[in-house]
Amino acid sequence: MSASGPVSAGRLAAVLLGLGLVVALVSLGALFLGSASVPPADVLAVLAGRVKGVDQVVVLSLRLPRILAALLAGGALAVAGAAFQALARNPLAEPSILGVSSGAAFGVIVAQVFGLGGGIVEALGLAACAFAGAVVAGLAVYLIAARAGGLPIQTLLLAGVIMSLFFSSAITVVISVIDFDRLGGVVHWLLGNLGPIAPGSLAVFAAVTVIGFWLVLRPARQLNLLALGEESAQQLGVDAEALKRRIFAGAALLTSATVAFVGPIGFVGLIVPQSLRMLLGSDNRVVIPAAMLGGGAFLLLADTLARNVIAPAELSVGVITAFCGTPFFIYLLRARTGEPRL
Amino acid sequence: MKLSVLTLVVWALVLMLPQPAAALTVTDQTGRRIELPRPPARIISLVPSVTEILFTIGAQGRLVGRTDFCDYPVEARRKPSVGGMLAPNLEGIVALRPDLVVATTAGNRHETFDQLARLNIPVFLVNPITVADVMDVFDRLGRLTERTEAADRTVAAMRERIDAVTARVEGRPRSRVLYVLWPDPLIVPGRGALVSELIALAGGDSVTADGAQDYPRYSVEAALARNPEVIILASHGSERSPLVRAKWERFGQVPAIAAGRLYTMDGNLMHRYGPRMVDGLERLARFIHPEAFDKAAVQR
Amino acid sequence: MTALVECQHVGFAYAASGAGRSFAIRDLSFEVPLGETFGVIGPNASGKTTLVRLLSKVLEPSAGRVLLGGKDLAGLSRAAVARQIAIVPQDVPRGFPHTVEELVLMGRFPRAPGRFFENARDRIAARHAMETVGVMDLRAALLDRLSGGERQRVMLARALAQEPTLLVLDEPTAHLDLRYQAECAGLLRRLGRDAGLTIVLVSHDLGFAAELSDRLLLMADGAAVRVGSPETVIDEAVLESAYGCRVIVDKHPVSRRPTVHLIYPRA
Repeated sequence: MSASGPVSAGRLAAVLLGLGLVVALVSLGALFLGSASVPPADVLAVLAGRVKGVDQVVVLSLRLPRILAALLAGGALAVAGAAFQALARNPLAEPSILGVSSGAAFGVIVAQVFGLGGGIVEALGLAACAFAGAVVAGLAVYLIAARAGGLPIQTLLLAGVIMSLFFSSAITVVISVIDFDRLGGVVHWLLGNLGPIAPGSLAVFAAVTVIGFWLVLRPARQLNLLALGEESAQQLGVDAEALKRRIFAGAALLTSATVAFVGPIGFVGLIVPQSLRMLLGSDNRVVIPAAMLGGGAFLLLADTLARNVIAPAELSVGVITAFCGTPFFIYLLRARTGEPRL
Repeated sequence: MKLSVLTLVVWALVLMLPQPAAALTVTDQTGRRIELPRPPARIISLVPSVTEILFTIGAQGRLVGRTDFCDYPVEARRKPSVGGMLAPNLEGIVALRPDLVVATTAGNRHETFDQLARLNIPVFLVNPITVADVMDVFDRLGRLTERTEAADRTVAAMRERIDAVTARVEGRPRSRVLYVLWPDPLIVPGRGALVSELIALAGGDSVTADGAQDYPRYSVEAALARNPEVIILASHGSERSPLVRAKWERFGQVPAIAAGRLYTMDGNLMHRYGPRMVDGLERLARFIHPEAFDKAAVQR
Repeated sequence: MTALVECQHVGFAYAASGAGRSFAIRDLSFEVPLGETFGVIGPNASGKTTLVRLLSKVLEPSAGRVLLGGKDLAGLSRAAVARQIAIVPQDVPRGFPHTVEELVLMGRFPRAPGRFFENARDRIAARHAMETVGVMDLRAALLDRLSGGERQRVMLARALAQEPTLLVLDEPTAHLDLRYQAECAGLLRRLGRDAGLTIVLVSHDLGFAAELSDRLLLMADGAAVRVGSPETVIDEAVLESAYGCRVIVDKHPVSRRPTVHLIYPRA
């Protein structure tokens, strides 16, 4: 652990600057790489507005929106992961463990089966269905886990796992009865894909992400205190119940927005916050903003790989994150039985 | 007086002049209207059947891109590929500067159409369910690529061969046919499947033709309970056919197996609705009514 | 008003489970004057922990009032209470991911709950607290790496960083060996005498409580059995009826404070 003294505004600024640089570099790399080979000089020319035509379409209408979507989705998932891990005091608490991802996925699949998914308006309808599914799952988890006067973390995690299983089974039922023609599309979506999203949808995605981010970031100091145990935190003046509700809402919002707009992508919320904690310490006032940037960079890197490694075909980005995530998950599991650290 | 007559004459002449190449408005098979400034010269096909059709009617010069699955005829493989049908590479598509993309609602995804629409690339959709629809696809593609004569000739030839088949099997008792699109899970053709009509034309009754979906999933029990007299297994290029046959041959009580009427055929002949569809039909008819054809070897 | 803390006929029952409610505390009344070290002793389930929770406003009384400096706790926000009362809990949860200095700084939260970062004043208070208990050289260490005694002192530093008027310690010697018990006693004496801090000491260790406290409260079954000087409360008959076992009370050879010896049953 390399924390040198307690956190201050200056330290946060330095971390954000460093990560911002990483994001900028990865974004530039992603702009340069793709199956339509556009030389870097031409890419820069397009950005400067000097070149039109095919290159402009590729860079501005295909790559750029995809990069923005990746940065938003990666950041949202990483922040949601960080929030849940601080809440549950467990590094294995991932947004998809809550069942929210599965609920959202179920919402989308049901909508697709019933015919949505045509024009742009219908695409927004699809996103709304994902939201509905996510909220249903999140509320169900909350209601199952809530006790009079409390939200015990262990029960919350268990309820999340049960909800996940339930919705996964529901999805399997749908898959086994839908028309063969539709099957490919649904299975493809379930792997998580970052395609270029319509600008309108991207704006909605960004707005929702900002709201969720703010919900989680503002009480970051209280979230730190939660590590003392709920009772000790309350003895220091933290309203633990209100805090838990707010963090849950924020993280659920971030997760469901991501699933709605780019499909379910796993492991980002597991890998990124934990890696950042190993580098920067566990103070949430640094980890959460860092996750917003670090998650974006990570997912963008994974997506750029997915796009280019077997060009012209594309891998789903969920495949890359799962490949990285599984060994990481195992490592965390093993590390927990040894020296305890969050 | 003279002036108004003169005006009329001038207008008439103007109207008779050859117009500059007018905007072309076409309707695709889902009923959408597509406006093109001129007949398309750079077409990308996201459908293997369409690729085959374009080659057959001699329009391959206008084809600039295909999918990985577009493998027939062999010349098609020389065209650049833009990836798979579910997730074609958008950058690849854009880089080929197409003025039209031909796609299908059964095999490509709606997201792809939306994204292409946002990039101002026109998309022409096909989705033939019946044999008549297939001829319609030939027709539309012929008109799009200004190869109407070739298209009409091909359609006529196909119709002749189809009529020949129906003539041969006419009057014969119709066999109950089970067509296995995929063995595990068991997928069979239902009402909206092209194969169902082909089976009917070949003198058979598909035992699963009442399935509400296009390609419903059946349990093996339910399928065999309908007592098929002929079972046809579609192979899709894998080497598993001997294993699959062995699995089905176990059901000795089923009329088809007892009579030894379990056949395998190339799936591409039955599910691509290009010119080879009639090859598939003829093969089907030989399986269902071998007695109607000469002693040419019936492939097992 | 010389009483800093006052409990007036306080009662508390945990949520019903089964038939009827079980009262954890019944009709408890006592007061603690400013500057006093007040010990609370009693067997398990006598209500000692519940009392700590009531004092820190984690729980609210079902009956009666708890007054702090004459004001009812019910009317104060949790943060306002935390600015005056600091609790030193038994232990920190496992796997605590922060350093000593970060932990001590957490004690500054109630001073300005709305602020995102700690300011210079906070850092000075934290350092002062760490110096008082003698953990300055450990400030960059992870809490998990520390010994029981060191961890105890760090938790005390966090409580002191709150700059409270009342310090409540919940079983301070629970995990400490002899040396650290002595250290802890010395530290608490200094805080009580030199800094004038009012201290409430909840302990199952009768000798420790008797040694340090000016007055004692003996609780049993949620009620007060006796309040008074250590000599008054630590009385054989009283203890035997409260604890249900036989004891002998003696005087400490050095401090002359009461000590308790358990009469072990033979066979």
